[in-house]
Amino acid sequence: MSYSFTLSRPLQDYARTLREWSTTECRPYARQADEQKGRPENWREILDTAPIPLGRADKPELGQVPTFEDGDWITKLAFYEAINYGDVWVHPTLGGGIGDLVVKALGTPKQVAEWYDPIQQRGGATAFALTEPGFGSDTSMVATTAVRDNDSWVVNGSKMYCTGGAFAEYVVVFATVDKELGARGINAFVVPRGTPGFNVVKENEDKLGIRSWTTSLLEFDDCAIPLENRLGWDVDHPENSVGNGYGGALGALAFNRPNMAALAIGLAQASIDVVTPILKGQQAGFTPQRWSAVERDLEAMNATLERGRRINYLAQVTVDRGRPSRSLAAAAKGFAPETAERVIRRCIELLGPEGVSKELLLEKWYRDSKIMDIFEGSGQVQRIIVGRTLVGGLAG
Amino acid sequence: MIDLEPDEEQVEIAALARSIADELVAPSARDAEYAAAVPDDVWLKVFETGLVMPVAEEHGGGGVPGPLALLAIAENLGHGDPGIASAALWHAHAALLVGAHGTAEQRSALTRLATDPGARSAVALYEGFGRGPAELATSVAVEGDQVRVRGRKVGVPFAASADPLVVVGTDPATGAVRAVVLPHGTAGVTVVANPGSLALDATQLGAVDLDVTVPVSALLGGPDADPAGLLATVQRLRLLTASTAVGTALRAVEYAGQYATGRIAFGRPIASYQGVSFPLAEAMMRIEAARAELVDVTNAVVADPGGDHGTAVGQAVSYALAVAVQATRDGVQTLGGHGFIKDHPVELWYRSAATLSALDFDPLRDPFQARL
Ligand SMILES: Cc1cc2nc3c(=O)[nH]c(=O)nc-3n(C[C@H](O)[C@H](O)[C@H](O)COP(=O)(O)OP(=O)(O)OC[C@H]3O[C@@H](n4cnc5c(N)ncnc54)[C@H](O)[C@@H]3O)c2cc1C
Repeated sequence: MSYSFTLSRPLQDYARTLREWSTTECRPYARQADEQKGRPENWREILDTAPIPLGRADKPELGQVPTFEDGDWITKLAFYEAINYGDVWVHPTLGGGIGDLVVKALGTPKQVAEWYDPIQQRGGATAFALTEPGFGSDTSMVATTAVRDNDSWVVNGSKMYCTGGAFAEYVVVFATVDKELGARGINAFVVPRGTPGFNVVKENEDKLGIRSWTTSLLEFDDCAIPLENRLGWDVDHPENSVGNGYGGALGALAFNRPNMAALAIGLAQASIDVVTPILKGQQAGFTPQRWSAVERDLEAMNATLERGRRINYLAQVTVDRGRPSRSLAAAAKGFAPETAERVIRRCIELLGPEGVSKELLLEKWYRDSKIMDIFEGSGQVQRIIVGRTLVGGLAG
Repeated sequence: MIDLEPDEEQVEIAALARSIADELVAPSARDAEYAAAVPDDVWLKVFETGLVMPVAEEHGGGGVPGPLALLAIAENLGHGDPGIASAALWHAHAALLVGAHGTAEQRSALTRLATDPGARSAVALYEGFGRGPAELATSVAVEGDQVRVRGRKVGVPFAASADPLVVVGTDPATGAVRAVVLPHGTAGVTVVANPGSLALDATQLGAVDLDVTVPVSALLGGPDADPAGLLATVQRLRLLTASTAVGTALRAVEYAGQYATGRIAFGRPIASYQGVSFPLAEAMMRIEAARAELVDVTNAVVADPGGDHGTAVGQAVSYALAVAVQATRDGVQTLGGHGFIKDHPVELWYRSAATLSALDFDPLRDPFQARL
């Protein structure tokens, strides 16, 4: 069918199975993961119960996520929503990260072969370190430096909020090779874990939500890495260099934005699905008018999540077709996360004071969801990007 | 005649509450959360100000502040920390109800509340389901010289320890609002264990199941209590809680505004971007509107306690809480990633406002709006 928002049957089936599994097998550990600020110790055994391949980094032999005719990026949307529907702790245990996406976007063919392809084949955890204490949105403010010293680049600076930074096999670190050049001086460097001078100052921040995710404060103190670790730059054949990649890094991130929107939709849908049967069981406690209002709210919330899914599809189809739209990706990320916060809060409110109790996971998902409108480009930044398609550089 | 000048008492009390909030309450917010209790020294000092124990002098208290002064206390303490403020104020609510409507014997028991800083009392009011106080399903039935109380209360402060616990319900015979004063340990009061909440841990919120039979002397104000007056005071308690949330909203906006003037992005302080300053400005506009509404509706309730204020109170409460939820949300958003970590207090306010909004929520007043 042309112009249809319906996923193929095989992808629907895969996503449903994933969702049911994450709900029954993973969700029971959600509270523990939140309190311990990390994945449950038996995470491998929990993942072993999955009836479908998840693309695990620790057990690549169990298989990658299958390929569906819908397209890889559409598949990712279904995957993000379904796995996070159980709870947010599960996804990072698969490995992953976004450092490898930057390698893919910025690397020379040789670099892609060395750092991207293996991750795709066997899985693996990578991290992306752009943000620093002094900036987040304005990535031109990179203060971390990389100075050439004969056969190496020497990196100095500190990176904040690096997801998975403490245990990734490598971190893609953004540093400037020449402050005079401004944004054009910013380059990305692959810094493998264990490189002397790569220090984890704080493994995990004390956060409002997604507490089981590792959010690390990193410091690079005269951290020397090989020359060939500068992405997009061919040390032996400079003519093969593909550029510094500052813009490219953000481009690579843009494709991941709808995935974050899908994650938020997963949490919001889980919240609606948790409260709906509870509310139905309590229907007798509501006046008929109020019960109508409750039903109307549930209906409106389900409909708005569908809107978020459709924008996600619109954005990611463009990536699968090889003509990615940054504007649609921004629209997707600008829409669903903020909407998801409001949906989860309304689910809590409909239950009343019992909705905020730790007896249920709603209060946790409310905390978890807030970051989706902040990281990988805040809601305001997404609006600027969308605005630029309309009015150009004046938006901002 | 319109007169927007607060009187001397209101001004002085507001200033005192703000200074306590700044110097004592705000700095202890995290401690109170981690301990799930207001630290003893903080409680003692707040208690000694007399701001949160509205008990007449004849019963050992410092006097009962006027209705608008109470609103100002709630707002200003909420500006310091919604957790500590709510703990102190919800304890005060019991004294307020008993002082205004209790029998002589019930009122004389206020001396303990007024003089013992270790005392914790509470009003069990909320039931969820969007019910206003006139619609409470908890039944308070007079059966001869006994009174039977049955129902489930949620969002009860100091649920496991309140002494007394003042339970508000309705009389199944007349439909009128009634309340009973239950000492701690009354048979038939079952506290449902609560593993904790999104926020306001210092208030020790919980649910309480009631199937209690006590002598009629436990009825607040006795069998002939005036239900209209009682209902009016209960409505004021809801307005006071909403006022706490308004104080928190204001603090979040001020904090975020301050941060935005110092944080640089794209060559300028982020406050210079409308994407940052407009949400905070919207919040300021609405905070003014919400506070004015709380004052106006409080005045209306006080002026005519027998009148039907359900709609006006419901509107005021629902609006103020929605404003607080959005303002505290925008507080987090303004700080970006830094708003998401506990190094800054905005995340605490975000959780607290959502908790308050779940307490007193009516789906009829505030339908979910999908963003256009
Ligand atoms: C849990 C977590 C995980 C993270 N993971 C990573 C990671 O793996 N790698 C990484 O590099 N970073 C990561 N980040 C950082 C994240 O991407 C940044 O926090 C985010 O980009 C916002 O930057 P900031 O916090 O410095 O806020 P700022 O840039 O200081 O922004 C503050 C506020 O100003 C607004 N603003 C800024 N400029 C404008 C403008 N021109 N117009 C309107 N509004 C504007 C923003 O929207 C925001 O509301 C993570 C953060 C968290 C909390």
